[in-house]
Amino acid sequence: MSDTNTTRTDTTGADTNRTDTDRTDTNGTDTNGTDTNGTDTLLPVATPARTRAAVAELVRPQRRLALAALAVTVAATAVGLLVQPLLGRIVDLAAGRGSAAADAITTTAVLLVAVAVVQGVTTGLGLSLISRLGETTLARLRERFVERALGLPLERVEKAGAGDLTARVTADVSLIADAVRSALPELARSLLTIVLTLGALAVLDWRFLLAALLAVPVQAVTARWYVAHAVPLYARQRVAGSAQQQQLLDTVGGSATVRAFRLEREHTERVAERSASLVALMMSGVRLVLGFYSRLHIAEYIGLAAVLGTGCWLVGDGTASLGTATAAALYFHSLFTPVNAALVLLDDAQSATAGLARLVGVTDLPSPPVSARPAAAGDVEVTVRGVGHSYRTGHPVLEGVDLTIRPGERVALVGASGAGKTTLARLVAGIQRPTEGTVLVGGVPPAEPGRAGAGRTIALLTQETHVFAGPLADDLRLARADATDDELRSALQQVDALDWAEALPDGLRTVVGDGGHRLDGAQTQALALARLVLADPPLVILDEATAEAGSAGARALEKAVARAVDGRTALIVAHRLSQAATADRIVVMDAGRVVETGTHDELRAARGPYAALWDAWSDTRSPDVS
Amino acid sequence: MSKADPPGRKVLRRAVREQRRDVALGAVLGMGHQTGEALVPVLIGLAIDEGVVDGDVPGLLLWLGILAAVYVGLSFSFRGSARAGERAALTTAHRLRTEVIGRVLAPEGGAEEGRLPGELATVATEDAKRVGAVMMALIVGIASATGLAVCAVVLLRVSLPLGLLVLVGTPLLLWLVHLLSKPLEARSETEQEQAARASGVAADLVAGLRVLKGIGIGPTAVSRYRRISQESLTATLRAARAEAWQNAVVTILTGAFLAVVALVGGRLAAAGDIGIGELVSSVALALFLIGPLSEFSWVNAELAQGRASAGRIAGVLDAERAVSPVPASARVALPARTDDRPGLPLRVRGLSYGPLRELEFAVAAGETVGVVTTDPADAAALLRCLGRRADPDAGAVELDATALTALELTELRAALLVAEHDADLFEGTLLENVTAAAPAPVSGARAAADPGARVCAVLAASATDEVVRTLPEGTDTAVTARGHSLSGGQRQRVALARALAADAPVLVLHEPTTAVDAVTEVRIAAGIREIRTGRTTVLVTNSPALLGVTDRVVLVDGGRLAASGAHAQLVHECASYRTAVLS
Repeated sequence: MSDTNTTRTDTTGADTNRTDTDRTDTNGTDTNGTDTNGTDTLLPVATPARTRAAVAELVRPQRRLALAALAVTVAATAVGLLVQPLLGRIVDLAAGRGSAAADAITTTAVLLVAVAVVQGVTTGLGLSLISRLGETTLARLRERFVERALGLPLERVEKAGAGDLTARVTADVSLIADAVRSALPELARSLLTIVLTLGALAVLDWRFLLAALLAVPVQAVTARWYVAHAVPLYARQRVAGSAQQQQLLDTVGGSATVRAFRLEREHTERVAERSASLVALMMSGVRLVLGFYSRLHIAEYIGLAAVLGTGCWLVGDGTASLGTATAAALYFHSLFTPVNAALVLLDDAQSATAGLARLVGVTDLPSPPVSARPAAAGDVEVTVRGVGHSYRTGHPVLEGVDLTIRPGERVALVGASGAGKTTLARLVAGIQRPTEGTVLVGGVPPAEPGRAGAGRTIALLTQETHVFAGPLADDLRLARADATDDELRSALQQVDALDWAEALPDGLRTVVGDGGHRLDGAQTQALALARLVLADPPLVILDEATAEAGSAGARALEKAVARAVDGRTALIVAHRLSQAATADRIVVMDAGRVVETGTHDELRAARGPYAALWDAWSDTRSPDVS
Repeated sequence: MSKADPPGRKVLRRAVREQRRDVALGAVLGMGHQTGEALVPVLIGLAIDEGVVDGDVPGLLLWLGILAAVYVGLSFSFRGSARAGERAALTTAHRLRTEVIGRVLAPEGGAEEGRLPGELATVATEDAKRVGAVMMALIVGIASATGLAVCAVVLLRVSLPLGLLVLVGTPLLLWLVHLLSKPLEARSETEQEQAARASGVAADLVAGLRVLKGIGIGPTAVSRYRRISQESLTATLRAARAEAWQNAVVTILTGAFLAVVALVGGRLAAAGDIGIGELVSSVALALFLIGPLSEFSWVNAELAQGRASAGRIAGVLDAERAVSPVPASARVALPARTDDRPGLPLRVRGLSYGPLRELEFAVAAGETVGVVTTDPADAAALLRCLGRRADPDAGAVELDATALTALELTELRAALLVAEHDADLFEGTLLENVTAAAPAPVSGARAAADPGARVCAVLAASATDEVVRTLPEGTDTAVTARGHSLSGGQRQRVALARALAADAPVLVLHEPTTAVDAVTEVRIAAGIREIRTGRTTVLVTNSPALLGVTDRVVLVDGGRLAASGAHAQLVHECASYRTAVLS
């Protein structure tokens, strides 16, 4: 939706004079432009040298294609330059008068048509070669980026803030794609046209070239001035654009809340404020671009006057014919469009390069080490020995934790917020390494799920959910690519989701997720459980995976969870005691330590912290529940 | 979109009217610019004719001087025209954006019915921008027509046949180009859509990164992405090839047309019918003419897009309201709030809406009542009616013995706050979120106790104080959009604190503790009970910890009132209540 203004195809380049302020709106859709928290831990950005090397590496397999594209485009441009001398020749012939001249004029006009045909064919061929080169390279780059991004350790991504990666995969990729699609071919053609036209002027007479070059100092100063001001301004426009987009989504998405709390005026003002500041920045952009064109007008005039003056002198001298002078003036006039285009494209090229450096920064990250020993398949045992962990030194969140989970056992972690339940779950899942002690899963340290060599031993389900955009069946098949429709159905059946899934407009083929059919919180989490069933890992860690549903929905989900983890080793962080009560064993945590373990009945009999908790809860419940 | 689209046209017409000064200024200056641009090739021809041909230096200088004057004029008028046009475009977009948001947020609601948030945001940005672009398109259209007219006059004065050739040939040429490229364009549009898929899928996968990694399906996702990326590449290449050949056709046609003009002009000049300078001017003008003419197709496309966008904007602005505003004559004012009567009574009377069937219950002023539903859909329907997000099919909700439909909406929501389970947080600090709807401290009044103490009490009651303690900057910690920087449990407690801080006479809380642990839930239940002393509170929940602190509970089963009584009593006596709350 964002980019329709680039689809306009120009019949000529005649409109390069239009101010170019639309561009900044196009990538305002990234949601996380400004709010990454830890600035010092952002993902790396490649150096210019490394970026160049990476591009060379990507292009290398297509060297031949690159050379062919260059050769054809040079040919197209060179042929195009025959137009002006041929027109000049017509002027000369017409000046000679006579009927012979008329025939010669006809021949020249036929030549002009031939030139147009050859130029058209070579241009078409050249453009398609350039786009094949650019697009193939871009595809290779984005595939490599996604592969590396999905392989990054979760801890690394979290440190950088998820927004960093999202911004790179959306804004930067589209920046480069736009450049490859429109800027690159046009820049290539413009530069070639400029170089070859100047060459042609020199062929006519070297003094024409000198005259034309008088415009260059003005153009060079103008370009430097423009880029110096434009780059920071466009960066600010992008920030303001995404701030506005974010505010809009925030306000519109939360409109029910806004109305309930009567925040209508405040939010309208917030939107108006962000919109106004973007408008002010866009107007600065307009002024900048217009100033740029004014200066280029001066350069155009200087060059044109100089070429005409030179023509007058050379014709008077007898060194050049009138046709030559005409051709020179036409050559120069035809330079306006490519020169303006090339100068404008300079900053597109510059921002695309910056985006490229950010992508290469990620693709260059070393791939995480493959774990030395593959984790055991089948039933696994979890052993936690003397584990302590702290995110900041001096502030331990876990201390001296010992815990063994037998194969097939279902253990519930219970405790107040901040007791260290989630940290323990992350350590067992292998997302973090403990700062003290050891964690073993099936006899080896756990590798983060999905990492190379980690296999499918561990699955971690948290409150955080995501519905992958596309048909529901495709979403499920992410967990098992070769699953049959029946297997998908039985997985859904197992988590009690088959009824609603089949009731969707197109059943399992219904497009869900962003832009598709919206699933509610409980459905989304049921989908996650169905994926879990399909992935079929021996060890499952659930971190308050039922929290996002309302309590009535949560109860249904709890049953689904129970069926999904059936037959697997499971560690369940439970915030509802009803879920804990049905576990094989309960581990009670407080302030980073394990304070009690045992079955529900044992712990109740022990009259310790769990019993107190249960009483506080069951007190509100029926006395006959026990 | 229907053929005749008056609401969209209304939006467009009003936008143009509002910007008429800038549009007029832009058009006049744009005419000046186009005239100048058209004169440049003519002047080149004259300079060659009068200066270069005879080596007449003073003649050349004269024409160069005139050329300089034209350049100054066209440069300034271009600048002024573009600035006025962009200003009009940006201002229009800004105004429409504010208006759309104003409508979306209107207390009566209804604008988001059937539209996703992303869609509405697009209407407020892209569509507003396109309607703005119509201002620029009008200016460009008027200016191009002027350029065309100047060309026509000059060419016809040079030579009638040559002028006619150029004037008839150029539109013909453009029509031909349009005709040839139309099938290509249609094809390339669908292909471009498919090509955009790769980036959408990549963003989606990165957004779901934790989920992917949690269950170890990263590699599957990568190979799927690679496949989509390759499909996308194939589509892009097809589109790019189509575009390249379209470009080739345009090059050939333009070149051939130029050759014809040069041929006719050259022969006329050879026969002595026109001068050499006029020949040069004609050829240059033929080249120039393609510019303003192709602007027309751009202007046309912009106008069409602008009309469609204006239609979508009108669709939002004129969206049916979810509830009708109260006519001023029928409006009833609530009694002023006093300290000795901080709560108001609430009554649900024979309410039928969605799954609800003649639901009936009452809550006295200052009472805390639990509402338990066997089906979450019943709770959702009840909440919609209580917050007046929808009006019941039959029956009524009464606040202080007045039907909600007779109360002004903002006044109603100030007196009766419905805090939904999925309420959103907004960008700002944690404290700003909590106090967003807090009543302004009344100076001099007895009630205006220390506002800081009030906030502390609210934070404690909602157990948000625990959240504050774990955050790096306490209550000043920044909350990102929709609260995504906080965990689910943290978010829920901050939202609860905000609802409590509003200190509404009647507060309806919907499942406020689903994401917090059992220990904290018990603490919150006690906190709510204490801080709401004297005020009316309705807890729509199935959580026994919360229901335990209520004075009374009503059970809704099958959309009807099924039972009513104290929580402990119902647990004992009512089997369906036990199932709803305890299993």
